[in-house]
Amino acid sequence: MSLCKKKRQDDFQKVKLKVGKTKPKADNATNINFRTKGINLTEQLKKDANAPTTHRKLNIKDLLSQLHHYSGTVKQGALVGLRELLTLHPSELDQHLSSLLSEAAAVFTDKDPNVRMSATRLLRFIAQSVPAERTSPFFPLLSAHLSCAMTHIETGIQEDALKVLDVLLDHYPALLAARPALLLNNFLELISHRSTGGGARKGQEGKGRSWALSVNPNRNVTGQQWRLTVLLRLGRFLQAVVEERRAEEGVACVSGDMFSVLNGQGGANAPLELNWEELTYRKGGFQVFEHSGAMPTPHSTFKLRPETEPGAGVSEGLGTGEAVRGFASTLVPLLLDVWVEASASDRSKTDSAHLLTPDAMSLMYQVLSILQLLRKLAPQREYQDTLDVWFRSEYLGDFKQHFMKNFPYGNLDTPKQRRKTDPKRSKQSTTIPGQTVEPLALNVLLCQVMVSMVTLSQREGQAQEPDAEWLMPLRGFVQETLSSGAKLSQRHLHTLLETVWRMVITQRSRAVTEDLLQAVYVQYQQMNLNLQTRTLLLSFYSRLYLQEHNHTHIARSRVLSRWLAALPLQLSQLGHRNPALSDRLLLSIQAAASRGNKALLNSLHTHACRLYDPQEGSVVLLPAESQQRLVQLLYFLPVMSQGLLANLSRCCTAGRVSAGLAASLIRIIHLRSSLSGWSVGSQDMTLRDVDYISFLFSTLTGFSSDELATLQEAGDESVLPPSPLSPLSLYPTPLEQFTHHWDVVEEVCHCLETLGSRSQCFDVLQNGICKNLTGLAVVPDSMAAGLLRAVARLLDLSFLPSEPLLRFLSRCCLSLLSLLLTLQQDTAVWGACVAVLSSIPRLLRLVLQSLRVKDLCEEELPQLAQILSLLLQHTALRNHMLANATLLQHIIQDLTRYCRGESKEQWMTDLLYCYSVTMATHRGNLGLRDIY
Amino acid sequence: MSAPMEIVLSADSAGQLWNCAVLELHSGTNLLAYRGGNTSSRSLTVLNGEYILGAQLGKNFINVWEIQRKDQLQQKIVCPGIVTCLTASPNGLYLVAGIADAIYLWEVSSGNLLAILSRHYQDLTCLRFSDDSSHFISGGKDNLALVWSLASVVQLDPSHTPEPRHVLSRHSLPITDIHCGLMGPQARVATASLDQTVKLWELSSGEMLLSVLFDVGIMSVTLDPCEYYLFCGGSDGGIFQVSLCSQSLSRDKTFQSDNEGNQVFKGHRNLVTCLSVSMDGTLLLSGSHDETIRLWDIQSKQSVRSINHKGPVTNALIIPAPANMFLPDSRPGIPLPRFSRHLNPSEQGEGVETGGVCLRLAPHTQSVFGDGENTKVRVSELEEEVRTLKKVNKDLYDFSTQLLTKPS
Repeated sequence: MSLCKKKRQDDFQKVKLKVGKTKPKADNATNINFRTKGINLTEQLKKDANAPTTHRKLNIKDLLSQLHHYSGTVKQGALVGLRELLTLHPSELDQHLSSLLSEAAAVFTDKDPNVRMSATRLLRFIAQSVPAERTSPFFPLLSAHLSCAMTHIETGIQEDALKVLDVLLDHYPALLAARPALLLNNFLELISHRSTGGGARKGQEGKGRSWALSVNPNRNVTGQQWRLTVLLRLGRFLQAVVEERRAEEGVACVSGDMFSVLNGQGGANAPLELNWEELTYRKGGFQVFEHSGAMPTPHSTFKLRPETEPGAGVSEGLGTGEAVRGFASTLVPLLLDVWVEASASDRSKTDSAHLLTPDAMSLMYQVLSILQLLRKLAPQREYQDTLDVWFRSEYLGDFKQHFMKNFPYGNLDTPKQRRKTDPKRSKQSTTIPGQTVEPLALNVLLCQVMVSMVTLSQREGQAQEPDAEWLMPLRGFVQETLSSGAKLSQRHLHTLLETVWRMVITQRSRAVTEDLLQAVYVQYQQMNLNLQTRTLLLSFYSRLYLQEHNHTHIARSRVLSRWLAALPLQLSQLGHRNPALSDRLLLSIQAAASRGNKALLNSLHTHACRLYDPQEGSVVLLPAESQQRLVQLLYFLPVMSQGLLANLSRCCTAGRVSAGLAASLIRIIHLRSSLSGWSVGSQDMTLRDVDYISFLFSTLTGFSSDELATLQEAGDESVLPPSPLSPLSLYPTPLEQFTHHWDVVEEVCHCLETLGSRSQCFDVLQNGICKNLTGLAVVPDSMAAGLLRAVARLLDLSFLPSEPLLRFLSRCCLSLLSLLLTLQQDTAVWGACVAVLSSIPRLLRLVLQSLRVKDLCEEELPQLAQILSLLLQHTALRNHMLANATLLQHIIQDLTRYCRGESKEQWMTDLLYCYSVTMATHRGNLGLRDIY
Repeated sequence: MSAPMEIVLSADSAGQLWNCAVLELHSGTNLLAYRGGNTSSRSLTVLNGEYILGAQLGKNFINVWEIQRKDQLQQKIVCPGIVTCLTASPNGLYLVAGIADAIYLWEVSSGNLLAILSRHYQDLTCLRFSDDSSHFISGGKDNLALVWSLASVVQLDPSHTPEPRHVLSRHSLPITDIHCGLMGPQARVATASLDQTVKLWELSSGEMLLSVLFDVGIMSVTLDPCEYYLFCGGSDGGIFQVSLCSQSLSRDKTFQSDNEGNQVFKGHRNLVTCLSVSMDGTLLLSGSHDETIRLWDIQSKQSVRSINHKGPVTNALIIPAPANMFLPDSRPGIPLPRFSRHLNPSEQGEGVETGGVCLRLAPHTQSVFGDGENTKVRVSELEEEVRTLKKVNKDLYDFSTQLLTKPS
């Protein structure tokens, strides 16, 4: 007990604390001499073998779950990690697209700006690698989050929402434009607020002024800049909507593309283009009538009722004209207010009103381009016109007051330039890209917007008077810009041309049209334009020309006819340098020619010989499609001169146009002649029959007289020498040329056959051959074969061919036969020989008579025997051979005599066999005839 | 012999024996021949089953016969120029002629010239009506084919020049022939051209469905009534048959070598200028510049019969036999009036009728075809609409009676 007591006292010993001494440490005091460091487990230790991971060894599920973390940094890290994961393993994207998009979209409205930025980046990355059709199922969710962010109460989130919108506009414009209604309201909310009371400035229709511009002082940018950014997005969005609609309706309906499609026919369902030859050898059939033809295609102009239900109102979107008008009636006053405020603040900085700061200028540019887009939003062409009328009635006064008063605008930076019509200088002034807008672009756009206000409705003279006052400066500007001779960029030119187009169509005054077209012509005449610009100008004129039928002031325009008349010359000068441009030119020429335009046809006539020159004319230099157009143009030529026909004949035979095209050329000329039975109409008798027949004849021979003359003197290198078996020396043409010529000959024969009286036709042919060809010693083999073919096809049985012709033909025939023996091919030529021999018995006799065995040398005997046995074998010739039996017998006797006892040779036995068979059947036939 | 169902009407440009002949389709026997003059190509037409009209070749008048009087002209319609093509609407109310580059439209009942349409730039070659007479198509040597809606053409507003509903401008050489299929405004139109193509268009939208490129220029085109085949007469005398529907190749077609349905009828030696298919789609009639018309069996592609003419054939068509044709005692239902040569007869001072109301009935019947379900839906929709209209009418009636019978 005492011990215990003692111990207890030890335990509770009093510690005396004294002033000035350090306090002794308590026994249980913690030593705090260590330092701590946090360990962040940003990556997992164990590697997940199943799923791919980031370098932090987090798989996609971890990262997605981290997005729900309360901490901003974790969320941002997860977003960065996701991006890394997806770059390394793109396959993950396909599997988890739905959860990825929904989670990423959920953080659009995050409070932390860094998270939002990362989310935008992630979205951009996903958008780059996923096509639109695969995003489309998730798009409602995305757009819901987007509009949530756009209408968020925090200005930062609103601003970042625009960046998200940028991404979507870049990659999925069509999806975004598919349901425009909600987003449009969001845009309005961004720059304005709906006023509750009817405190309107003017009592326009009640709801017209229910929106008013709003200013939020909390933003870190000025109100004007904010509006500019919003308007920029709105402009891009509307552009997307317009393009979407264009894709739906086909290009033709939308005036934006007015010059790019010349024929104005670009339906959505492409027509089937078939070729007869393909069709014949094709295995599967094709289907023209879908759903058995009972339903019209969506492009039908017959409509029982509008497809969208009326009464759904503005919220339905921009599908109907009324909806567009409703939206416009809200937006346009806001736009005007925006501009009025901006110009007022701008006015304070400068004294002259037509000079603008770059900011104000780009703001105005945006305002105008949105106005322009609003016009294009109208779903159909007729709505567009009513919309224009409506715009005019509502806002013309405002526009005139706010926009036109100080037109044209200039840049404040270089105040000495009053008018920025010189694009070189204005280009220098554009230092900051993107945000700044050239004054030229602004002025041009303003022209376009204002000109669209001029409606077609007022055709009477007095109604134009009020317009003239504000149209005057516009027209002056356009004319000056175009005719200044400076080069304009593609886009500006396009806009200017549209403006000119509109003015020309609406103004209906000849003087104005002439001035404007002259200005455009100055542009057209510039050297060194690039292809696109040239094409643009070309299609402007050609479209204008196609419009002439209901605008007499266009039809009578002298500039237009001068342009047309210059086209053939341009085409011939262009040669083969630019086939695309030539094709455009040809299209215009063809259109004008088919309309029988006098100026063009005369010019075409003067330049025809150059165009159809067989050496360097366009018809041989251009690609096949243009060649075809040129050939078709022949139909419309007013007069076919001899020189032109000579050129054309050379074109056909020279082989630089395909055989098919040559055939269609011959056919078109055939149609032009009065002998064909097809009346060309007013231009009858412009192709004389003499010229036509000589064209056919020279095409038939295939070689010009000069070429034949040089062949006669060519010497022995190129031609086969004459021999007793081939009395003419043949010039072997290349196989390609031979087949080409053969095809042409077939076509010529067909034309000659249909000319009318056969015997007269043959008489003409015979005269031609006798006069021009019988004297030749060297004959091209293609020509010889062609002549034989033509004679065989054209010969009338009642007609007796003349002796010189037959002698010439027999020489041709024999030469060809012996040539065929050496070649061992070409059944067509063999067929032609047989046909001509069987149709003219006299010819066969001549051939046989010319076979003089005693003149032949040893090597030629087998050839002769082969020819004879071939002729004997042919059934069509058998009877004619029998008619010449005595002659044949002589030849064979001679042969056996001359071959000096070597009668056991194969060719001799073959011949004798054939001969005996032929004779035997003949006797058999005779015998049979005797019996009956 | 009972009266024939279908007959062949043919004319040639020589016209030595007769102007146009009527043949029995199956036997080829000559039934009738109308005398006087000769007829230019694509200008022979039957009006309302009671008159035959044919434009005189190279002259500026149209010969008119009553269908039962073959020996005597009923009248000659004198025109301002040479008639290049002529057709009458199937319902017999309108007559359309191509004179130079203008289309003249007459109303048959009054003989008034209703419209002169000059939208073509060169001479016309062919005019065709759709089977419900609601539209007609004109083809010309300016490569254009225009689709006109009859209702918009005959409207009275003089300030408004009628515009074609569609301009078919994809041919690059003159149009030679047009065929318009059945089914009114939903028909298919086939156009043939010298540019060696035949194109098939949709009448309602004016869009091209098909273009077939041949080796020769095509002078005539027709479709069979089912529109299974397209027949194209070439300038070399061949007739090309294009099958428009894919057939299942697996069934019972194994032993034939070329069974694609794209084949050539060979026999003519010159331009095939006219083609026509019989009502049952088994016989094809072709006329050619080689002075023959031929009948072909479509299934076997053989020439069944060839009939010689004295000159290039200008018209050959198969039509259902008009009732009056073989009854010499019959009379036409309506007498044909004098056709006027000028647009406004009142300005000429002849037959001035003042105070009269000119009423023009436009046959604006659009047949609405549908397939199965859709038809029912549409019919119910239309019934619904009729019901609402009736209700509105009744409300209006009630309101007005209330207003009228009000005691004050």
